[in-house]
Amino acid sequence: MRIAYIMASVLLASFGCKRDDFQKLDERNWQLTWSDDFNGPAGQLPDSTKWAYDLGTGQDGWGNQELQSYTKSPANISLDGDGNLVITAIRSGNNFTSARIKTQGLFAQQYGRFEARLKTPYGPGIWPAFWMLGSKVDEVGWPKCGEIDIMELRGQQPHIINGSIHGPGYSGGNPVTKTFALMNARFDTDFNIFAIEWDKDKIDFFVNDFLYQRITPKDVSGEWVFDSPFFMILNVAVGGNYVGFPLPQTPFPQKMIVDYVKVYKAAD
Amino acid sequence: MNTNLAIRFLKLLPVGIITVLLLGCEREMDDLKPVSYPANPYVFIDGFSAGLNYAAFGGSVPTAFDVDKKVTWNNSAASMRFDVPNADDPRGLYAGGVFYTESGRDLSGFNVLTFYAKATQSAVLNVVGFGNDLGASKFTTEVNNLQVSTSWVKYYIPIPDPSRLTQERGMFYYSVAPDQGKGFTFWIDELKFEKLGTIAYPQFTILNGQNQVETSFIGVTKAIGGLTSVFNLPTGVNQSVNIAPAYFQFTSSDPSIATVDATGKVKVIGGPGNATVTARVGSVVAGGSLVVQSQGAFEHAPTPTHNPANVISIFSDAYNNVPVNYYNGYWAPYQTTLSSDFEVNGDHVLHYTNFNFVGIEFTSPTVNASGMTHIHLDIFLPNTLTANAQFRIEIVDNGSGGTGTYLRTFTVAQSKQLISLDIPLSAFAGLSSRANLAQIIFVNVSNNIPSFYADNIYFYNDGTPPQVPTTPAPNPTHQAANVIAVFSDAYTPIPGTDLNPNWGQATVVSQLQIQGNNTLKYTGLNYQGIQLGSPQNLSTMQFLHLDFWTANSTLLKVWLISPGPVETPFTLSVPTTGWSSLDIPLSSFAPVNLTNVIQLKFDGNGDIYLDNIYFRKN
Repeated sequence: MRIAYIMASVLLASFGCKRDDFQKLDERNWQLTWSDDFNGPAGQLPDSTKWAYDLGTGQDGWGNQELQSYTKSPANISLDGDGNLVITAIRSGNNFTSARIKTQGLFAQQYGRFEARLKTPYGPGIWPAFWMLGSKVDEVGWPKCGEIDIMELRGQQPHIINGSIHGPGYSGGNPVTKTFALMNARFDTDFNIFAIEWDKDKIDFFVNDFLYQRITPKDVSGEWVFDSPFFMILNVAVGGNYVGFPLPQTPFPQKMIVDYVKVYKAAD
Repeated sequence: MNTNLAIRFLKLLPVGIITVLLLGCEREMDDLKPVSYPANPYVFIDGFSAGLNYAAFGGSVPTAFDVDKKVTWNNSAASMRFDVPNADDPRGLYAGGVFYTESGRDLSGFNVLTFYAKATQSAVLNVVGFGNDLGASKFTTEVNNLQVSTSWVKYYIPIPDPSRLTQERGMFYYSVAPDQGKGFTFWIDELKFEKLGTIAYPQFTILNGQNQVETSFIGVTKAIGGLTSVFNLPTGVNQSVNIAPAYFQFTSSDPSIATVDATGKVKVIGGPGNATVTARVGSVVAGGSLVVQSQGAFEHAPTPTHNPANVISIFSDAYNNVPVNYYNGYWAPYQTTLSSDFEVNGDHVLHYTNFNFVGIEFTSPTVNASGMTHIHLDIFLPNTLTANAQFRIEIVDNGSGGTGTYLRTFTVAQSKQLISLDIPLSAFAGLSSRANLAQIIFVNVSNNIPSFYADNIYFYNDGTPPQVPTTPAPNPTHQAANVIAVFSDAYTPIPGTDLNPNWGQATVVSQLQIQGNNTLKYTGLNYQGIQLGSPQNLSTMQFLHLDFWTANSTLLKVWLISPGPVETPFTLSVPTTGWSSLDIPLSSFAPVNLTNVIQLKFDGNGDIYLDNIYFRKN
């Protein structure tokens, strides 16, 4: 994977001056504001001072016809003892369980760098995501609160992720989005770093510090709603209208392995 | 397509440059390698690649394959078209063949064979793969029942261990049958080997991933089966791939106990001791293992010594076995018993594992064991019993004989000991005839015998005369008009005849059925009379006919009696060998008045069976 990635850079470097310029970013002095390295004994739930749970099936499969029921059982979510958080989607006949955790009510931040190092699950119908919602969601509703999907992946294309934003007029099946594909590798076979860098003018999307998308207020068809604190979410969904049904050949259980989540702000 | 080729070369160019730079300047002796084969990945792009040939499989339509320049992937110049015949096509039953090269190619730098395919209908390609070189075909790799649709989709056949394919000649093969009798057409294009980072999670098993433990002995050989392989494709789905055993590299943890060859054949050569056989494919360890617990030298069952003329053998290396349908019927749905038969230096042994019940069947033809007295079998329990065990043997007769059962207790002390059983067939309760034996069934009554070995299963006659006749007396053939009958199923006897008049005798009289034939039995004979229903004028008769059978009598006489009494004995030759049939001239009974015979009498000793007692003309 790494070699492929380097090769991609080399090719881009030699062929595209414009892209190269795009990669030149302003110097930043990032200051860590929040992090979880998921250290702890195997089988333990993640730190309750940092993470809360979404449980059950939500309304209408969390708005997406998703099939899983979220639990806080260690079988679905726990530390692995090696410094990782593992979210496990389990099939039991036609029923699926998984987990979804969030920093809502515990931590939110406006602007900065939000990143996670993780290995995705895979297989048709598997839908892992690292994403954010505006903290005003309970007050103003979705999509007015804003949503930033730092990474979501369809398990039937384990070499492709999407980075997206949803807001009023550009939500659901019509977000502002872009894909990033590995040339000859998969996101589930190695750890990768997914991040955004967000300020008042733009949101930049990165994979392994490669900038593949910049969204500015003029890129959205509706109101720009990304000027308030957002909280983070990690989950593995099964089924749903983004990814389709799991197939009999979809291997289960499926695990998303998260090495860390870190949040920075730009130092003054 | 030409443009695509150009693009490919463009992509390859920088890689080539980098390679050259990395390889450095000096050529060292280490770089000199043995003959190397070209690493050409292309099988069929817009035509046959260098050195590629095609041969159709026998029985297939020879012309099923053709190059198509109209229907192609991505408007390329040509594709491979395959016309699967209708089921009744006189040219062949299916489409199938091999694309191979005369000399090998080095495929070790690739990890998957890929192609685009589509068909005139949603269809199943029964077999597609590579590694068939029309010769040894050592590294066949195939996907079964590949589902294709009417649009071009890319398909993948992963290479289990590319390092083994340094001179592969089998580039592609296929075998596709009609879809419910109907033919169809499918196309394949861009057939090539690639190295993809998106083929993930290779998983292999031996013994279907189970960790098996087996008691064994020096000389036992066993083939390891249950070889499976699964890869996760770039589409995220798991794909099973049928791969040749040669991909698996087997290892024994202690070759002084058990060796394993390249094909997975395990041979126990030492012991007592344990050896664990595992395998890997390339660097991936296969799931599953076999722990061989060698007990050392095998305790062969003693070679049977019964005269083959007196034996009907079901399973033995010492005799010619009768035709046997199966030694394990796998009777659904309740049977759990599996077979793991083995051979020790030419001695074949039945090995039943996961034992609840199991049947041996021999109906082609059934076995007539009427002349046999015993069943023999040698049993060995390789696991130490946790408690005394109840083992039932059932013998099934497909005729009128029913099912006979025999229950045997194996004690804990008999674990790991040879148990030789010689069971009289008369001990099988409920078996009334053994003229049409069809099955032998073993039942784990106490459910605590995990497995057992069986050898030398045969019926035999132990040479001692049978104490009871197993066959009825021969049927009389004289015309009824010429007969006056006393006791016979073949004729109507004299009405009112008393077969057991009370003359103060000690003899016990009974009648029994032998294969449906009524037979008269005298147990503990001293003397015994028969009172005829009416006095008989035998002046037109010439003989007294008798069928008699005895294993233990040393003296037997038959008497005719007329009033007076006037009585005369005739001495019968005993004991008999089987049934004795005798026609005694009535003149032998002089001076009995043959115009007025009223009684018969037997005297002597032993247990006597009698049948077909009648007077007849010449």
